[in-house]
Amino acid sequence: MFGLFTKKNKDFIASVNENSFEVKVIKGKTLLSSALDQGIDWPHRCKVGSCGSCKCKIISGKIKPQIDFAYVLDQEELDAGYVLACQSELKSDIEVEVIFKNKQE
Amino acid sequence: MKLYVNLRYLIVPISSLITLFGIFLGGIYAWIGVILFGIYTIIDTVTKDIHLRAETDDDGNSFGIKQFQYLVMYFMLPVFITLQLALAWRIFQYVDSSIIESAYFAGFAYESGINTTNLIGASLSAALWAGLGIIYGHELSHNKKEGFLVSRLIMALSGASHFTYAHVYNHHLDLGHQDDPATAPRGRNVYWHTWLSHIGQSKFSFDMEKKKLGKQNKSFLSFDNRWILGYVYSLPSIILFVWAGGLIGLLALAAVWVIANFLLEALNFMGHYGLIREEGKPVEHRHSWDNDSVFTSWFFIEIGRQCDHHVRGETYFWELDDVGGPNYGIGYFSLFVLTLVPPLFRSYVKKHLDNWDQNYATDAEKVIAKQFENKNLIAQVAS
Repeated sequence: MFGLFTKKNKDFIASVNENSFEVKVIKGKTLLSSALDQGIDWPHRCKVGSCGSCKCKIISGKIKPQIDFAYVLDQEELDAGYVLACQSELKSDIEVEVIFKNKQE
Repeated sequence: MKLYVNLRYLIVPISSLITLFGIFLGGIYAWIGVILFGIYTIIDTVTKDIHLRAETDDDGNSFGIKQFQYLVMYFMLPVFITLQLALAWRIFQYVDSSIIESAYFAGFAYESGINTTNLIGASLSAALWAGLGIIYGHELSHNKKEGFLVSRLIMALSGASHFTYAHVYNHHLDLGHQDDPATAPRGRNVYWHTWLSHIGQSKFSFDMEKKKLGKQNKSFLSFDNRWILGYVYSLPSIILFVWAGGLIGLLALAAVWVIANFLLEALNFMGHYGLIREEGKPVEHRHSWDNDSVFTSWFFIEIGRQCDHHVRGETYFWELDDVGGPNYGIGYFSLFVLTLVPPLFRSYVKKHLDNWDQNYATDAEKVIAKQFENKNLIAQVAS
């Protein structure tokens, strides 16, 4: 019962590339915008979900997609767990893989 | 400050309601939407030299209240629907040859019945203000939640529901390149651009749905086809106007759609005319024209801050700012009048394009600009 009065954690953590570093994602913000705010050089181009440059693979955890990723990602990519970071809010802590052009690790 | 920042964007909602009220009142008041458009053109021209920056508090946070601004944008959907209902009612009276006489509704006097002149005024008023729905359709197209559907429905009232997808997936990605139908190359006029851009964006949306459904092994004729669905959203308008006035109703709706889409494409035209981006290179501030004189900014809910918007597409309109990009130096109303006379527009824009070529373009973009210049010269000689 007391759980009703406990403030739910609205911020989640994205653990990137096997715990190389973490991104704190606050409620209402996307994975990409959070990463960029924290100075991480996450690959991106349009930031509106149309180019696919920010795609990443969810290893564990849940995200909340803001759009239908099927316009940009192939079915194989969707099946493999790829999402667009610029259009993904988090519903839990996640583990994610992303390929950086310049090695971020 | 917070109140001022949020209330200043209410010019279009209030003006739309006045226009709606004018159509309900009838008589000469049916023209009020057209008259307002004229008055605002004068205000925009007179205040062209006033430019403001985005206001923030000491911590850099915007004064914009998201919940309030979204409430206003969502509220505009029923306003635009009611505008069409009001026009349809007037068309019904016209076709029905209703007697023109004073009447009362809930204590308010209005003119029942309408003559041809005032029906034209009502149609133009409705068309101009329905066309301005683009500013909300555009802003909400960047909201991927329920706002996206509201955007689709607002645009569907002008038969342009495909815009919501094409704007995000085509225009924002291919801006300044020939793959973007909404970017007008040098030498094109606004009338030709309206048709090319409209058809090009619809075709893009068609192809995108075809590709997506193909990947999902679904038929093109599917409820998941959002290109088809967009036109289905426009069906109630068609049915309403045909029911209200048959052929005359259909002609009135066609006029509303043509004018509304002309305004939409004129905004695209003014936002990117003649600017060039090398394929594959990132979109930068220099790939858009800013129109951020004070009245344009408030009236068009900062849609004129294209330079910032195209680099930070996820940013709410009240947070957009002057980023030192190319700027026409005048507002949208003033520039719109110039675009209506293509030789005048080309003459006005030449110095701005020359400035862009010299001070903003990369070497590769200059080469492409030169190719356009040569192509236009050849076309002029040939004609």
